[in-house]
Amino acid sequence: MTAGQQGARLRATAAQVIDAVTSSGRSLDAALADVEEKVAVSDRPLLRLLCYGSLRHHWRLQSWIDGLLSRPLRSRDSAVNALLAVGLYQLGETRIPDHAVVSETVEAARFLGRPKLAPLVNAVLRRALRDRIFENDPSNDEAAYDHPRWLIDALAVDWPDDWKDIVAANNARAPMWLRVNPAHGTAADYCARLAARGIEATLLPAAPQAVRLGAPQPVDTLPGFADGHVSVQDGAAQLAAPWLLDGLSGRVLDACAAPGGKSGHLLELGGDRIDLICIDNDATRLEAVAANLRRLAVEATPLCADASDPENWWDGVPFNGILLDAPCSASGVIRRHPDIKLLRRASDIGELARRQAAMVAALWGLLAPGGRLLYVTCSVLAAENDEVIAQFLEANRDARENNVLQNNNIRDLMRDKACGFQILPGTKDLDGFYFACLEKVS
Amino acid sequence: MAKLTILEFPDPRLRTKAIPVAAVDDELNALIDDMFETMYAAPGIGLAATQVDVHWRFLVADVSPDQSQPHALINPVILEKDGVRVSEEGCLSVPGYYEDVQRAEHIRVKFLNREGDPVEMEADGLLAVCIQHEIDHLDGKLFVDYLSEAKRQRIRKRLEKSRRHQAAAAM
Repeated sequence: MTAGQQGARLRATAAQVIDAVTSSGRSLDAALADVEEKVAVSDRPLLRLLCYGSLRHHWRLQSWIDGLLSRPLRSRDSAVNALLAVGLYQLGETRIPDHAVVSETVEAARFLGRPKLAPLVNAVLRRALRDRIFENDPSNDEAAYDHPRWLIDALAVDWPDDWKDIVAANNARAPMWLRVNPAHGTAADYCARLAARGIEATLLPAAPQAVRLGAPQPVDTLPGFADGHVSVQDGAAQLAAPWLLDGLSGRVLDACAAPGGKSGHLLELGGDRIDLICIDNDATRLEAVAANLRRLAVEATPLCADASDPENWWDGVPFNGILLDAPCSASGVIRRHPDIKLLRRASDIGELARRQAAMVAALWGLLAPGGRLLYVTCSVLAAENDEVIAQFLEANRDARENNVLQNNNIRDLMRDKACGFQILPGTKDLDGFYFACLEKVS
Repeated sequence: MAKLTILEFPDPRLRTKAIPVAAVDDELNALIDDMFETMYAAPGIGLAATQVDVHWRFLVADVSPDQSQPHALINPVILEKDGVRVSEEGCLSVPGYYEDVQRAEHIRVKFLNREGDPVEMEADGLLAVCIQHEIDHLDGKLFVDYLSEAKRQRIRKRLEKSRRHQAAAAM
């Protein structure tokens, strides 16, 4: 008997997802969502491994492909190029046996409607094995670090001593973090519930609700997930809500709320003490916020609105606290979204920085005297972080940075910037996040 | 060790009903080694003696992804079947064709191991399907027999045609 063709079909599907990102500029999440429905639940982890891995190592894989092909594939055969990447990724980076990789990947060419290129796929993969290309040193920096040139340069300028660690963390697989809802016990309690199911987990002193799983799990296997006992959220992101709410009550704004992770956290901590308004300019994503809050059984006022344009939605009543989790390059969460390395361009950063500056300036007017604005990004680039905040502080005499951290556990995670603080990706297995806490002089 | 030639549908020898193995000896074990080699090289996950034109009742199987769980079953008999599972099957004797076939999800089977000792084993999922598929071979039966007559004829004609092409190309 031979195994069915699910294996070949799955590799073809992975190639289509990767091609949608590399050729059509689709996000990996969206491209996966397009196909995942049609893939058996038991095959989905392998599909994700192939897609994430092949994109994570895009530059190295492409340099191998370029070296193995006598001439590049035509652009209309870009899906076959992606299939070669899937094949080489499996040969070089996974423990799937070589013979299985070759037969499934060659067969996959037929499912991509390119049966005539199956012999080429076969020849390339067999030559890669024969020539042991996986042992060769990468031919250039992009291949060596699996990042685009512009991003390597930007990281090296901003983090001259750390950029190699950042790059390595970006290329690692991301852990799964949970936030335990204090209404249903402590993080230590939840670890015990996980242990009872044989799921290994650890705590993070800096974020008392955080639990890091030893290995990622489907959410429906997590005890109490459907009933709001836990949410999926990186430990670094869990620092934002307690930071903003420290000693604060009354009207609070979550200015870019979707998908609602931090909104839920604000309500778990603030309870009736705060009156939370959640805005986002994307109605569909705002629906996700509402669903998240329903699961946690907490309430906020959702509003579909643009944070940088308060004239159109603000009722004139000032806020005591504003959380601005600003749209950014996401350069701190590349390990979760390897497609960022392919989809972002150097020119995006200046445009993002202008939008971020405009948002801080627009929201500042909504803050009550004595109120607090916490500026957060999941970027590691100075242009989107301390440079935005430094310029703002210079232009606004009634703004002052509060650079007092709540405790030493938090301090241990942070790199000091000229203003604000940075967690670099991989520190204690966390995502890369930037925080700056601004207060309005009364 | 040597790689063996696999008979292909509609070769009439695939319809032979195999006879029980009389003695588990070195000759048989050498043949089992060759069948593992042939199966892994194909690559396949199961191979019955019938498929290499040996008409004794034994088979080899390994459904692991890394060739780590080889099973050799001599004179296998299914004692119990349980549950229903539909899965896509292919066959080294019907190259290039894959169809859904319904089998038992769980089986209990007795057989002689390579030392000639009688043993019993429980199998689930893909291994259970594979053992049922291979025992069918020992009875002269192929997975295409579970398909409609029209589908089986279509597969037969296409395989005959591709073999004529290969023969012509070899001349």
